[in-house]
Amino acid sequence: MLKKLVLLTLLMPAINAFSQAQTDYNAENIPPELKSRASAVIRNMETTVDMHSPENVTLTVKKVVTILNKNGSNRAALALYYNKSTAIKSIKGVILNAFGMPERKFSQSDFADESAVSDYSLFEDDRLKRYTPNVSGYPYTVVYEYEIRFKQNLIIPDWYANPYADVAVEKSSYTFICKPEDQVRIKAHNFKGTPEETSSEKVLSRTWRVSNISAFKYEPYAPNPDSYLTYVKVAATQFSYYGHKGNYKNWEELGKWIYDDLLKTQQTLAPATAEEIKNLVKDIESEKDKVRKIYEYVQKKTRYISVQVGIGGFQPFPAMDVQRLSYGDCKALVNYTQSLLKAAGIASDYCVVNAGSLRVGMDPDFASMDQGNHIILCVPLKTDTIWLECTSQDTPFGYLGTFTDGRTVLACTESGGKLLRTPALNTAVNLLERKAVLTLDADGNITGKLQTDLRGSQYDNYNGLVHEPYTEQLKLLKKEYDIDNIDFNNFKLVQKKDDQPVTTETLELNIPNYAPKTNNRVYLIPNVFNKAAIIPEVKNRKLPVYINRGYTDVDEVVYNLPQKYAIEAKPDNKIIVSAFGSYSFNVKQEGDKLICNRRLILNNGTYPPEKYAELMRFFSDVSSYDNSKIILKTN
Amino acid sequence: MKHAYLLVFFLLVLTAPSGAQDFDYGKITGSDFELKNTILDSNANAMVIREFGTSIMQLDDATHNLCIYFRYHVKLKIFNKNGFGSGNIVIPRSVYRDGEDEVSELIATTTNLVNGRPVKYELDKKNVFNEKKNKYYAVTKFTMPNLTEGSILEYSYSLKQPSIFNFRGWDFQSDIPKLYSEYVANIPALYNYNASLRGFKKLTSSKSEIKRECLRIQGGPYDCSQMTYIMKDIPAFIEEDYMTAASNFRSAIYYELSDYHMVNGGKKAVTKTWKDVDYELLSDKSFGDQMKKKDVFKDLLAGILKDASDSLSKAQAIYTYIAKNIKVTNEWGIFGESNIKKALETHSGSVKDINLALIACLSAAGLDAEALILSTRNNGTVNNLYPVLSDFNYVVAKLNIGDRSYLLDASQPRLPFGLLPLHCINGNGRAIPFKKPSYWYNIKASQKDFTMYALDAEITPEGKIKGKLTTTSSGYAALMKRERISQANSVDEFVEKLDEQMPAISILKHHIANVDSIEEALVEEYEIEMKAFDNMNLDQLFFNPFFIDRISKNPFNLNERTYPVDLGSLKEVRIISVIRLPDNFTVADKPKDFTMVLTDNGGKYQFKSAQEEKTLSYNQLFQLSKPIYGPDEYLGLKEFYSRIIQLQKTDVVIKKQSR
Repeated sequence: MLKKLVLLTLLMPAINAFSQAQTDYNAENIPPELKSRASAVIRNMETTVDMHSPENVTLTVKKVVTILNKNGSNRAALALYYNKSTAIKSIKGVILNAFGMPERKFSQSDFADESAVSDYSLFEDDRLKRYTPNVSGYPYTVVYEYEIRFKQNLIIPDWYANPYADVAVEKSSYTFICKPEDQVRIKAHNFKGTPEETSSEKVLSRTWRVSNISAFKYEPYAPNPDSYLTYVKVAATQFSYYGHKGNYKNWEELGKWIYDDLLKTQQTLAPATAEEIKNLVKDIESEKDKVRKIYEYVQKKTRYISVQVGIGGFQPFPAMDVQRLSYGDCKALVNYTQSLLKAAGIASDYCVVNAGSLRVGMDPDFASMDQGNHIILCVPLKTDTIWLECTSQDTPFGYLGTFTDGRTVLACTESGGKLLRTPALNTAVNLLERKAVLTLDADGNITGKLQTDLRGSQYDNYNGLVHEPYTEQLKLLKKEYDIDNIDFNNFKLVQKKDDQPVTTETLELNIPNYAPKTNNRVYLIPNVFNKAAIIPEVKNRKLPVYINRGYTDVDEVVYNLPQKYAIEAKPDNKIIVSAFGSYSFNVKQEGDKLICNRRLILNNGTYPPEKYAELMRFFSDVSSYDNSKIILKTN
Repeated sequence: MKHAYLLVFFLLVLTAPSGAQDFDYGKITGSDFELKNTILDSNANAMVIREFGTSIMQLDDATHNLCIYFRYHVKLKIFNKNGFGSGNIVIPRSVYRDGEDEVSELIATTTNLVNGRPVKYELDKKNVFNEKKNKYYAVTKFTMPNLTEGSILEYSYSLKQPSIFNFRGWDFQSDIPKLYSEYVANIPALYNYNASLRGFKKLTSSKSEIKRECLRIQGGPYDCSQMTYIMKDIPAFIEEDYMTAASNFRSAIYYELSDYHMVNGGKKAVTKTWKDVDYELLSDKSFGDQMKKKDVFKDLLAGILKDASDSLSKAQAIYTYIAKNIKVTNEWGIFGESNIKKALETHSGSVKDINLALIACLSAAGLDAEALILSTRNNGTVNNLYPVLSDFNYVVAKLNIGDRSYLLDASQPRLPFGLLPLHCINGNGRAIPFKKPSYWYNIKASQKDFTMYALDAEITPEGKIKGKLTTTSSGYAALMKRERISQANSVDEFVEKLDEQMPAISILKHHIANVDSIEEALVEEYEIEMKAFDNMNLDQLFFNPFFIDRISKNPFNLNERTYPVDLGSLKEVRIISVIRLPDNFTVADKPKDFTMVLTDNGGKYQFKSAQEEKTLSYNQLFQLSKPIYGPDEYLGLKEFYSRIIQLQKTDVVIKKQSR
């Protein structure tokens, strides 16, 4: 994964003028409407970014935040990241009591110094300083002031007006200062009005101000926060980064710089390696099969290790090193695969992507360096475009999975950057088909067999289990099928890795006492294996309803019943059709067989906020049918 | 507290470690490549073939400080790619005030079979990374080059540890199985360490030899005892749910310095007897001295005790005062610096500050209070044979009134008086009184995890269940609810969230009593309404009466268990329900009354129902009566839950009466 250049946007505390009358910060003075749903209120925050030169950008933050209750204590904490190109120049602060009177001061020496390297990573150079005020009793107010110096301007600190749902904002501002002749691009999102500008011969200053933003409630099925939050982002045309200089105004130029300055020099292979690759594919006819062969070679040879070295974590280490060590991070492995393909005469593109289950693409209107966190490889062939995830030894050829599907990525090519779109795994493709044939005996025990085919995004459903030893798989399977008393035999997971990859599970199962009996009635919940969860109600829904990725589940359970069992009561056959998808459920008896069919289709999409209640009812109905019971009478 | 690293002032000279039988580095044989995981555990993705470690005390030439030198050497095999994780190595290092553990002589080699011949790949030094995690902890990290299925990995390093308080321990068991693990500890006769072996697996062999004149101090020769421990065929350690610290169960050796001989012939105990520990703790500036600081409360006491008459109410008033006035930082431990006066002034302190302040204040009020040191559940159990002070990581107050004892932790303001947080319920603690000798005290939760639901409802002609649900909780159940209420900014927001999470049930009205009166049970009253029937025009209707706190998943669903199930506290749930039927209906069928008990009085479940006119009443009692169940009781617990789940699937059948 690309190094996360941890910016201070989300952890951006600090002070308003200490000199001003501190009685202003009496917690009593907070407007009541800002207290609603809030655990903290930003009384005033001033964020100033001053781009003195490409090698010298300062961030000064003054922040006054009142903590209303225990949940807000996290919002009183300050964590500042630093590394080779980021230095913390000063930190100071003071804690005020409920009346806004100073209680005690703190300074840099009160901060704990920690490594900010993620546990899975072999090397990153980030560290952080952390401070959490300890104050007994609420409310209290923390006033911070700090300054950070960046020795680069490729990534300029951005500003989110109200990044936390539970924090209300009385006043907050962002000021960006540069020289009048500096070329910068600015994106102000969800900002009403225009920034204030002041200029002189030497400096041009722009300020965005917001006031009185209420806290809001966390809502499920919410879209990407960037779509509804207010933010300002700045990108400089002329930039400097770890000694590298360049300029860009759009994705094309940024992609060009990445290719020229970060990639081009890293793709040399030893002649022997190039020869080996040529030999590897020399008898293969189709381009696609050549790519497949080389991809399999990479998968067999390498493994993923996070090592964030090289130009602030943006440059892959050389292809020759990967050849020698057989490991690398996403950049290195993509660069290596690209180099091998080149040796076989096949062109491919190094693509920057924002990876994660939530589909977030590169912003087409605003090119900047910090929008991606991962690299994948695009191989455009004459008839087909193949996408490769190079960090996994198991991913099927040409399959991206939910980590990078369906979004805009930046291809960094010799002729410049291009925005491309990865193929999307959508509702119809993300198919689960399960069939179980079971026998119910007179004591209520169930035995039988089950098979499930998983396609599209659901191909990865067993990711957490597939690499585990068999005994551990059986334990994890009990979490997948969390049914009282269930036990498995002959569990097999087969992954077919062709153009339409399928994961197939087969197993034998038994569930003693699944269908309990009282007097001559037997209670059977026929839908055993697939139950949708209810989603919470949300009164006064504010945000649009966003379903990130749809799917289709088709389940059939067939029971062989003991003789002389008859249905006394059963749920009605049900079909629900809604904007979000559809659901059908039915149970029928055919001789001594009982057949239960269930089909759930959920469509991805964005829907207006008022539709949420309908989605909630949809799941609520689905859940009640999923759990519905049949009552059988024995004679 | 005085630590043993003060000893570095003695001038010692040690000869090189002798007799330790390390295996040859780089000697990879055909049999290593032929090894299959079936030899020990067919589930293994990787396995240690051989592992050797040795520790010895030596003088650091540069600083003239006494250090422990540890050498580690391992050879392991990767069976498949799922075992590649064993090729990512992290060596933890301690950081001290004036130095840190240092790694040197690190070599690592991957050997692969390429076309039938072994090919070696050495680790490049520039791919070794050092990272300082925080003030106390650093790591050295590297990853093995060129891993492939079947790779043999070998690496070895030395680690210099400037503190000799904890002699280097040894983990026999890890997340992959091991064929052979050997540890050789060379301890100069001047020093005695208490060694403790943990875990279920026995040593294959151990021996102790005297190494004559293994070191010279100021020209004088001294002996070493050389202990060799060997364990073979060690299974991987796999954690289970509901267990306390893994360190309680993992096979390993731990050491703590007990005493040492001085060069002039005298002997000095470090942690020899509890008598010494008592003295040391009670005279420690950051422990005993703080407990004794009664004068801190001299002026406050009258105010705190103004409404209290007897000993118990005085103690309660003090407990409340301390809990309200000092907010806990997230520091635990019994060794750190402590200053209760400062904690009181800044309203902020460690758990130790808070509870020592509590003890001091109780004593100032003339009550009999003592410190109780303990080890939290995730920190492992303490050695009950001899004092191993580093086992302890938490201190609470023990208050004695008459013949009753109360355990108090004022750092958790939502705990009722006398109940310790669940993380403290972990076997024995050591009580440290002011004047008497210390003694073991078995720590139990003083209250059950208790919840009672009372439902009084009716089935309306429209097919709804409507009524009043009253929930009373105490012990950890109340603690958990109070924490959730506090997380929800207000009681109304808490109820709103609760309501939103149960779309099928609407909460029409609510009242929650005693949210802040932590000594009282928490009482929630809800007026609820839920849809029960789609169609009331049928002759026969089925409804499931188990909709309150239903057990739908079995928490003990596995087929076997290796370690005890440790729940920490006893649990009791009572559900009392009364439901009035619509006028023209009567009960046709209902679940049978049912009682079951766990063996050895381990628990009980009871279901009873009765019908009187139009009223159906049914009660459930659920009890788990032991905090810890042995692995042999696991299947009993599984069956217990399973039977409840089966019962709760069955319905009440109501029938329309013909008029």
